[in-house]
Amino acid sequence: MYAIVGGIAAIITRHPLLIKSARNAGFAVCVLIWMGTASLVYLFYTDNFSMAYVAAHSNRSLSHYYKFSALWSGQEGSLLFWSFLLSIYVFSALYTYRGKHPELMPYVGVVMAGVQIFFLTMNNFVASPFHVFAAPGAGGILHLATRADGSGLNPLLQYPEMAIHPPTLYTGYTGFTIPFAFALAALLGRYPGEKWIHLTRRWTMIAWAFQSAGILLGAHWAYAVLGWGGYWGWDPVENASLMPWLTGTAFLHSVMMQEKRGMMRVWNVWLVFLTFMLCILGTSLTRSGAVNSVHAFAESKIGHWFWSFLLLIIIVCVVAFFKNRDYLRSDNQLDSMLSRESSFLFNNLILLVACVAVLAGTLFPVLSEAVRGSKISVGPPFFNRVNIPIAMFLLFLTGVGPLLAWRKTSVESLKKNFGFPMLGGFIAAGIAVALGLREFYVALCLLLSTFVTLTILSEFYRGASVIAARTGANLLSAAGQLTMRNTRRYGGYVVHFGMVLVFIGIAGQAFNQDKQMDMNAGSVLTLGPYRLYLQNYDSTQEPNYSAERATIDVEKGGRSVMMLYPTRRFYPSNQESGTMVAISSTLREDLYVVYAGTNPDTNLPVIHAYLNPLVKWIWLGGAVVVFGTILALLPNRQAVMVLSPATAGESAPVPGGAQPARISFSARSQLPDSHD
Amino acid sequence: MTNRHKLISICAVCLGIALAIVPLRVVAQKTDRAKSLGTKLMCMCGCGQILTQCNHINCPSSGPMLKELDMHVTKGEADDLIIQDFVQEYGEKVLSAPPATGFNSIAWYIPGFAFVIGLAIVVMVIRLWRQRDVARVATAGAAPPVPHDSASDLIDARLERARKQADRETED
Repeated sequence: MYAIVGGIAAIITRHPLLIKSARNAGFAVCVLIWMGTASLVYLFYTDNFSMAYVAAHSNRSLSHYYKFSALWSGQEGSLLFWSFLLSIYVFSALYTYRGKHPELMPYVGVVMAGVQIFFLTMNNFVASPFHVFAAPGAGGILHLATRADGSGLNPLLQYPEMAIHPPTLYTGYTGFTIPFAFALAALLGRYPGEKWIHLTRRWTMIAWAFQSAGILLGAHWAYAVLGWGGYWGWDPVENASLMPWLTGTAFLHSVMMQEKRGMMRVWNVWLVFLTFMLCILGTSLTRSGAVNSVHAFAESKIGHWFWSFLLLIIIVCVVAFFKNRDYLRSDNQLDSMLSRESSFLFNNLILLVACVAVLAGTLFPVLSEAVRGSKISVGPPFFNRVNIPIAMFLLFLTGVGPLLAWRKTSVESLKKNFGFPMLGGFIAAGIAVALGLREFYVALCLLLSTFVTLTILSEFYRGASVIAARTGANLLSAAGQLTMRNTRRYGGYVVHFGMVLVFIGIAGQAFNQDKQMDMNAGSVLTLGPYRLYLQNYDSTQEPNYSAERATIDVEKGGRSVMMLYPTRRFYPSNQESGTMVAISSTLREDLYVVYAGTNPDTNLPVIHAYLNPLVKWIWLGGAVVVFGTILALLPNRQAVMVLSPATAGESAPVPGGAQPARISFSARSQLPDSHD
Repeated sequence: MTNRHKLISICAVCLGIALAIVPLRVVAQKTDRAKSLGTKLMCMCGCGQILTQCNHINCPSSGPMLKELDMHVTKGEADDLIIQDFVQEYGEKVLSAPPATGFNSIAWYIPGFAFVIGLAIVVMVIRLWRQRDVARVATAGAAPPVPHDSASDLIDARLERARKQADRETED
């Protein structure tokens, strides 16, 4: 509270000691949150079952690894974890800019403290993870009570990825607080120029990278654990994570227009606001029980707190905007329709339409219930039908954008740059159609993926060949030099290529096959080129669960190629079952085998096998996206240009017979980067 | 790299990607009718999954619903009739996508509506910015030229050339 009050006082008085004091209060808040989080972790590791939260989400036999991840497995702990991650960002921002930007940072500190106050209110008064069990003793006095053992962790969460996915996604969600704080602070403080954009670019990219990785890790968790053969079900909670990612992506593109041309100031501020609002909306959806989701926390009464906070954010943003909108005025000019600026406008349009489509589908059941009194379902068929054309258009723009120059692109240059990549796309799609591909969107995806890939390759080739010609280096080394000279641009291309891989992986979904069968020892299930021969079943007893395991010999082309062990686990502490899917993954396809349970009619175990093509490309694409983002975050290596000396022929006679000025081109001149 | 080499490289990339995808079609099975109909229905156990994708162990809903679906298909009933039967039994919530009629059709219109509105705004914005640019060029054209001596012209020209070269190599 002092951080926010002291911050406001510092803004009003501009007193340096108050500014410092408010900043130090911000540091203190962060340290206290870390101590609180560490306390809860300690309580988990010491099996302190007098704590209600520990007892509900852990037990003595739970492995140490999962005792840590149990921290965020429930509503209360995950909110504390949220505060913890936010505090790391806040601490880092306050520390990085300590003593810098004195006009801006007090505002930033106040906004960040405001967000922290909300979450700390939740942690302390609404959903505290530090409630203890109490039992009435003699004279009705309550005494601390302890359970002998806890209920254990939800089996679905006892998977290595669950120790990575939520922190990654939360780091993405919370990370968007920093650009939001800077945008609002710049608006409130009327901070001049595009400085806040430069300051927050890296923070936004970090948050975006974590959000991307978090989404894909979540998809992989759903794929590997839930055992339904898919990775994305357009569940409201999945959608909630996708929406801020879409607006964040739009911001990362349109922000370049503001940096380069001073354009779209209003739009960028609102994109940042919207991204943060969608993060809070997503959290509300996950935690309020407003929409049905397998991923959501149990229905609770904390939803209205989040809705109120969201409303407050909207009011603050709208008021700040209308009060200071003249500060955002910019002289937007567009030299040509065929320019990178206009491609960014379309890119933003498409990303925003995708966001609206996802939001509409997610909230429509609530709207329908409110209007008609009956809830309807909005499932994957709706989202796929609406979003696939949008995604195709976006993929097209991914290829087009880099080919267009800032300000103006001539038609000749467009033809020259488009020719080969587009031809390549048509050749690829043509070959595929000739070989029997009939799914329209898959063919289109193939065409566009090839187009984008060739565009990216040609961009690298063009730049690298210039450097290779000048330095004598080979093309690969020149491409490396090129990338390090402009990490943001070429890192961006790597991200685009990662997205192409993701798109190809998703396109493979059109060819999924599956087969389910009651199987006893000796049974055979045939799926595509594979023959699954069930050898036997066995059972094992582990400290935390008992497991039934099927041993399956997989044959292909008449010879045994691998053994798979789909497993079904039973956790006695919470009387729940879970599956451990057996997946054999290659770039071509995944053979995905689930021990689905026992058929009550035949009393035979049920094996469900899926053949999912190209799934691995999605995870590979995700890794490339993260790599590209890391690359884009690296500072540029200073471009060193060696220009040839001015020749006599180039020297024009100078009136008065004076020697023409030989500017220092013959020396190695260090040129500043063109951006960033 | 000559044009011929470029063309060969492009063909190699295309062929690689195409070959990665195409054989999958060859081995793909035909989806049976029940499976196709199952994707139009939701499992009613509350998992929020498509009927044919619900894999909850001993799910109380998906098993009986799938059996019911198979029964309808075996009888040779029409698709619409089968779907209607499920709607009567479980309500509209059983449909995996909102029906394109009545109030629920709004869900289908929202994305298209957002696109049209957004496109109109983008086109309007582009036109406005273009007009500003035309006005700027006209104003600049009317301004008197600034005199330069030829030596500074030469330096400016070479500096400009160097900047352009640097821009080309490091442009965003």
